[in-house]
Amino acid sequence: MATENPASGKRFKLSLDTWAVILALALAFAVRMNLFTKIPW
Amino acid sequence: MATSSIAVERVESKSAPPNFMQLVPGVLLLAAVGYAGKFLEKFLNTYAKAHHWTFPNIEYVLWAIIIGLVISNLLTVPKIFQPGIATYEFWLKVGIVLLGSRFVLADMLKLGGLSLALVVVEISLSLLLMHALGRAFNLTPKLTSLLAVGSSICGVSAIIAAKGAIDADDEDSTFAIAAILALGALALFTFPLIGHALHMNDTSFGLWAGLGVDNTAEATATGALYSDAAGKVAVLAKTARNAMIGFVVLGYAIYWAKRGQAQGVGNKAAFLWNKFPKFVLGFLLMSLLVSFHTFDKGQVTSLGNLSRWAFLLTFAGVGLRTNFRQMSKQGLRPFVVGALGEVLIAILTFGLVLGANRIWGL
Repeated sequence: MATENPASGKRFKLSLDTWAVILALALAFAVRMNLFTKIPW
Repeated sequence: MATSSIAVERVESKSAPPNFMQLVPGVLLLAAVGYAGKFLEKFLNTYAKAHHWTFPNIEYVLWAIIIGLVISNLLTVPKIFQPGIATYEFWLKVGIVLLGSRFVLADMLKLGGLSLALVVVEISLSLLLMHALGRAFNLTPKLTSLLAVGSSICGVSAIIAAKGAIDADDEDSTFAIAAILALGALALFTFPLIGHALHMNDTSFGLWAGLGVDNTAEATATGALYSDAAGKVAVLAKTARNAMIGFVVLGYAIYWAKRGQAQGVGNKAAFLWNKFPKFVLGFLLMSLLVSFHTFDKGQVTSLGNLSRWAFLLTFAGVGLRTNFRQMSKQGLRPFVVGALGEVLIAILTFGLVLGANRIWGL
């Protein structure tokens, strides 16, 4: 979960919470772009 | 977060995060158990209908938890699955952010505002109550602090956050987590029974579950066990409770630092931001996007369904990481204090919800 910060060269860590938000927003973006036809339940 | 997931394993401050491939077996197990729960619900309903049986509709949530409990308590889950099972909290947070799409801003302000007001009362009274119980049962002050934080705010994550801030022992944290998890598992089964017996409506029950059940996964599952609508409200109330974590942990950090038993807090704003659960912001952002019609109706349905799939993995994880044998090894006193506190908090939050229902007609 560590990521290289290109500006400073320092390694910083994103929390699991942040990764969860990133994944959820990426999924929402994919839905918005109609990359999935329809998610069934 | 990985440390918080397997029932009562010792809380370790520093552990290397697992790599992606190590997560795959456990995540597949979560998916298999969750899907088996969903399949069982559908299959049993169809079978009972075809044979004209009167069979209660048992939701997939309960099946997923029961299957998980059977696997973790009757079989030995091989170590290869553990890192993946521990991701159930990650899926919970993904599900919560996506669930934000089911609340337009007006709902969020109305129910969220009410939840926040009730949360402030609940946290204040719960902290007082747990400290009184801790003193009465002669628990160490730091264990009492951890139990108070865990039962008043948000269970395991709050205990982990507070542990670092107040320099508590691993032993105390393990005790507190064990008590909170065991009691969360009990709440899962008792809250819906009480709710049905008292004919609570979905909003009231959801609020009660969100305010009264400690761990976010259990609170979400308890609400969803009652009804879909109750599950939504439970997540909102629990999210409001989670948002307070930084303030309470900051209070404890300052208290213990003043007594010379923890490191001081430098930048308070940075401390608050560090402890603030970021998924709450994601949840609010998603609601905002839906309120400004970023998604059409079909897309909002898809987002809601994605959130349900993420929760399915969480519910499977709740069962899989609950091991009663391990929990029973953790000692009786913290459990008794936790149990007494939980019952009193459940009664207190029930009273709060009842009062809110009378005043605002939920």
